[in-house]
Amino acid sequence: MAVYKRGYRRYQGHLTGYWSRLLALPRFAWSRLMAQRLVVIVMMVSLFWPLACGVFIYVSNHTELWQGLDRGFTRFLEINPRFFVIFMNFQAVFAVLLAAFAGPSLIAPDLANNALPLYFSRPMSRADYVLARMLVLLGLLSPVTWVPGVLLFGMQTGMAGWDWFQLNWKIGLGILGGFLLWITFVSMVAMASSAYVKWRIVAGGLVLAFFFVLAGAGAMIDNILRVEWGSLLNPTLAVNKIWRWLLGAEALPGPEAYEHAIALAVMAAGLLWVLNRKLRPVEVVS
Amino acid sequence: MINNSFRLRQVWMIARLQLRRVFFARRSLWVYLLAFFPAIIFIGHGIEVKIKRERWGGHAVTTPAKLDSVREGDTEEEVIAKAGTPITDQRFRRRDEEEPERRYMRYYDGTRQVNLWFRSGLLVQKSTSNLIDFEEDRQVYAGVFQYFYLRLAIFFGCLGIFMNLFRGEMMDKTLHFWMLTPVRREVLLAGKYLAGLIAAVVIFTGGALFCFAAMLWPQETAEVQAFWRDGGASHAFWYAAAAALASLGYGSVFLAAGLLVRNPIIPAAVLLLWEGINGFLPAVLQKLSVLYYVQSLCPVPAPMDSDTPALARMLLAPAEPAPAATAVLGLLAVTALVLWFASRAVTRLEINYSTD
Repeated sequence: MAVYKRGYRRYQGHLTGYWSRLLALPRFAWSRLMAQRLVVIVMMVSLFWPLACGVFIYVSNHTELWQGLDRGFTRFLEINPRFFVIFMNFQAVFAVLLAAFAGPSLIAPDLANNALPLYFSRPMSRADYVLARMLVLLGLLSPVTWVPGVLLFGMQTGMAGWDWFQLNWKIGLGILGGFLLWITFVSMVAMASSAYVKWRIVAGGLVLAFFFVLAGAGAMIDNILRVEWGSLLNPTLAVNKIWRWLLGAEALPGPEAYEHAIALAVMAAGLLWVLNRKLRPVEVVS
Repeated sequence: MINNSFRLRQVWMIARLQLRRVFFARRSLWVYLLAFFPAIIFIGHGIEVKIKRERWGGHAVTTPAKLDSVREGDTEEEVIAKAGTPITDQRFRRRDEEEPERRYMRYYDGTRQVNLWFRSGLLVQKSTSNLIDFEEDRQVYAGVFQYFYLRLAIFFGCLGIFMNLFRGEMMDKTLHFWMLTPVRREVLLAGKYLAGLIAAVVIFTGGALFCFAAMLWPQETAEVQAFWRDGGASHAFWYAAAAALASLGYGSVFLAAGLLVRNPIIPAAVLLLWEGINGFLPAVLQKLSVLYYVQSLCPVPAPMDSDTPALARMLLAPAEPAPAATAVLGLLAVTALVLWFASRAVTRLEINYSTD
């Protein structure tokens, strides 16, 4: 007769809905992140540039403010795809910084403290866990990326009129789609770094290194081998090319936007592989 | 008897214990990758040049005079009559066949490759380039060293190595073992810094010199010999010195950051931004960075990328480089100051494993 016996039975009661289960993680994570002074400061700083762009749009649409200035300056004040690409480039940097500060605290502590079984013992798959963690970052990065972008586009539409919108509606879609692509990629980098090194602080450094070192390595390959494909390693340049294509801005020299899209997809697949490999609810100790 | 010589022995003992951890830990592998990645690319470039030289040299080499006699507007037959059989000969025709046929020929004269493009049987474009250009490769090396090595590889490498010395032990929950030894904390700091510095200097100086050798490897022997006669050794020395001093400067900053701040990524990001915008700052502010002094030691100024926007070119105003002695002394002084701050911080350090 066993001196200790314990039986388990599956929970038969009522389950909460899928989305409410999924959103429980972001809800707690958002409140924790917004309590961090640094995250709030970076978010606030990242909103200065959209504000400046808003002022630029205002000035650009009030011709009486710059009457008599030369044609070069008039062309400089034009609101075109190039203007929005520059806006997006700046915000992309803030998105990386924000992801570097906020992203590592999402998965690393769960791994370091062996907390994954607590999540996976609930009706939640690994894909759900990744999606929930990604929602945290998407929610955090949206107010500094596509939200101000769409607001600026709306402001320009409001000031320039319906005709401008009819001619440039693709820019609005490009801003939304381009930023969604970028913040999804940045979130994946932050999560994969967080899962790979387990240490919050090191993961933050890894996020920064991923973007800066790959950009440097790409430029180095191009210069040493006198080729152009090295830039495919640079995720920031890759997304810039895709944005230019989406917004209809002048293309940069080098590989085409679709080639950069393939390179980004390969990187994303690699990041997913890291997540799949590291996010396991059990660990075999040899 | 506890005197300075005893403390120095303690410093060396701690450094020795720490060195194995810094050099051979699995988590240090990426530092080697960063340090030797440029050399790998230069070796790839060298292999490419050697293969081309061998393959093209196997064909009948056309004399430079014959190639110079080829002019735009010559017919295909005239070119072949003047220069002989090309080493590459390709014809292109579009499917719709409305476009005239195009032809591409390549000749090699032992050092230069001459590319000829024909359209409808006439030479429309002629371009000449050296198979390998020593001057250009030296410029590329200068760019790689200053943009990749100093700003990224040594920066992130030192971040990893020096942050790991205290913050890493804190995360591994092993720092208290060091604190329990009968050693002054300043001695512990010096020992750990020495270990990090030896590792960083060996890895990055070695990487920079290996990369330099990889750049020289495929060059023409005569050019390399002339380079060594004309102060090549001094170039190699100053590149190595710049790598070592960058490790010294960034190392001290990241060691102090690991002690003073709970999340050293914040000072790292600020420093990265500061060093990144260095060229755009006024001359006085440029001097408040590690990069300014280290770049002053580089024998060849970094070339500017041709893709740099006109506005950025206009705003870029690099300060006059500091004299070598000033640069070295300046960096040593900054390092000493930062280490003094770190030594103050380490005496007040309290272990709180729960926060990480």
